[in-house]
Amino acid sequence: MILLLLAISLVPTLWMLSMAFKPIAEWSASGAELTWWPKSPTLDNFRFIFGQSSSELIVSLERTAARPIMASLLAASFGTLIAMTAGTAAAYGLSRFGKGSNLPLALIQLRLFPPMAVMIPLMIMWAFLGLIDNWFGLAVVYGIVTLPFAFWLMKTFFDDMPREIEDAALVEGCSRLRVFTRITLPMMRPALASSALFVFILNWSDYLIALLLTTRDWVTIPVYMTSLSSSMTGQLYGAKAALGLIAAIPPVILGIAIQKHLVRGLTFGALKE
Amino acid sequence: MTQIALSNLGKKFGAFTALAQMNLTIGDGEFVALLGPSGCGKSTTMNMIAGMVAPTEGDIRFDDRSILNVPMSRRGVGFVFQNYAIFTHMSVRDNLSYGLRAQGVSTPERNRRVSAMADLLQLTPMLDRQAAGLSVNILQRLAIGRSAVVEPAIFLLDEPLSNVDAAFRSVMRSELKELQRQFSQTMVYVTHDQLEAMTMADRIAVMDHGKLLQVGTPLEIYNNPQDIFVARFIGSPGMNILEGRIAQSDKGKLVDLAVIGRSAPLILSGRAAIEDLPEKILFGFRPEQVNPDPNGTLALPVNFVERIGARSILHLGADSMGVKAVLDNQITLPNIGDILRFSIDPKKVRLFDPVSGNAVGGAD
Repeated sequence: MILLLLAISLVPTLWMLSMAFKPIAEWSASGAELTWWPKSPTLDNFRFIFGQSSSELIVSLERTAARPIMASLLAASFGTLIAMTAGTAAAYGLSRFGKGSNLPLALIQLRLFPPMAVMIPLMIMWAFLGLIDNWFGLAVVYGIVTLPFAFWLMKTFFDDMPREIEDAALVEGCSRLRVFTRITLPMMRPALASSALFVFILNWSDYLIALLLTTRDWVTIPVYMTSLSSSMTGQLYGAKAALGLIAAIPPVILGIAIQKHLVRGLTFGALKE
Repeated sequence: MTQIALSNLGKKFGAFTALAQMNLTIGDGEFVALLGPSGCGKSTTMNMIAGMVAPTEGDIRFDDRSILNVPMSRRGVGFVFQNYAIFTHMSVRDNLSYGLRAQGVSTPERNRRVSAMADLLQLTPMLDRQAAGLSVNILQRLAIGRSAVVEPAIFLLDEPLSNVDAAFRSVMRSELKELQRQFSQTMVYVTHDQLEAMTMADRIAVMDHGKLLQVGTPLEIYNNPQDIFVARFIGSPGMNILEGRIAQSDKGKLVDLAVIGRSAPLILSGRAAIEDLPEKILFGFRPEQVNPDPNGTLALPVNFVERIGARSILHLGADSMGVKAVLDNQITLPNIGDILRFSIDPKKVRLFDPVSGNAVGGAD
């Protein structure tokens, strides 16, 4: 049973992995047979999206994947930074001092609107501000959109942290700010790490916002992915698989880097009592 | 090194009164235990002394200086929490030196005091371990050390031993006493465990429902409870309370315990014999005072026997009365269903007014 579920969930990923290394004859329909594993593995797909036209693919790309990868990295990272900073501060204020008790609901309301209803007015606003097709403009929207997630995650973590720990530091003569930076934040590292990863993945995989707010210079990976086709060849599945593989790298690296904290983040509340 | 004075201290949370009209002076270097069941206001009192909670009425003075406007970081109190509140992301050493660092104590002095405290509390072998992986017992020891190392004039402990295991509790009781001997701080200790209060405190303040009921040395509280709640709460099991009537006889004033049917009256002595008493009375005696006596004037059936090692607890009488007797195992114990005849030294009897619940008739 477990094996079956494992197979179902892993097959698409493995298929992408295999596709990425297949030459054109193997991934396109022109080869009459279905190849599960690349018979003659090649890096052509990768070379292709970075601008070297391959011998077999006659089409050449208008733009390479280098710029979209950078755009995605910049926008997603900066958006995560914005959401985490504002979300953590808001969550701390609400959890400890009860200030702004309407905030949680207001933030959730933001998510109740169909994204399209919000995106069009936003697009007009961004156009006025000159933030269209600009990684910074995209990052700000990412920060705003993922702020509720950062806020809610951090709020539950702060609620779970015993107040006594901060009181203990306060009683011993620490200022509130010092308590926050020296005691609370370091103890919340696992929570911060897991929330940040979650927010980053949300930003990283966004398509709709990037599609509407970027046009050419700062398109992100998901948007760029759709341009990997041509009227002559149809969808360039090999190139897409190669790009998909590259796109999977940052979240995986991040995940491994904070894995130690993630496990603790999951059991965070249970550690204290 | 500081006297704490609470005057008319009160705290309301909305409509709920957590504490009302608390008046208590804790002397310089005194060890006072605030004892009571959960929700009695003892922790609220403590949090107000520390400054975590602001009182809604009354005043708190340290050495005649009101400290209501002093933030908690400047009150100079040490506080030990029930759930340790250890900084788990730091090593044991960093935890111990945290308060000293916050106060700007120089490094050599800091190191000297940290290692002295670690020696005292036997934490030296684990000074450089992360606090996260330590056992509950060690964590609480560390919490006590972290608060004590800054040598606060006032040391507040909020049920510090209720999470540690029973064997370790008795070790910590003597260590806490030792700690106080060394630093002679004023100590306030919140607990619901009368054993802790009895063994450690110079004086005990018994509280219930936001009210201070009685303050006194452990023996005073045990021997002369001023109130029916204190009488029942202190001692294990607590004092037996029976309804009775005061009557006159040719032998003097007596209590008629007709309510238990089979029992004959008991003649009073001492102040109770001469004082003006209400007719209806609550009659109290400690389970330890039940003295098996074939000629005793009191008799009750034995319902149940609990053996607890050297002694046994007998549950006597009809179930609603719940009279208990504590007897040594040296004597032959009656069987379940037997009638136990017993006497009580009239001097050990305590009487309470059934209306107010206060002690009447005095004590010898």
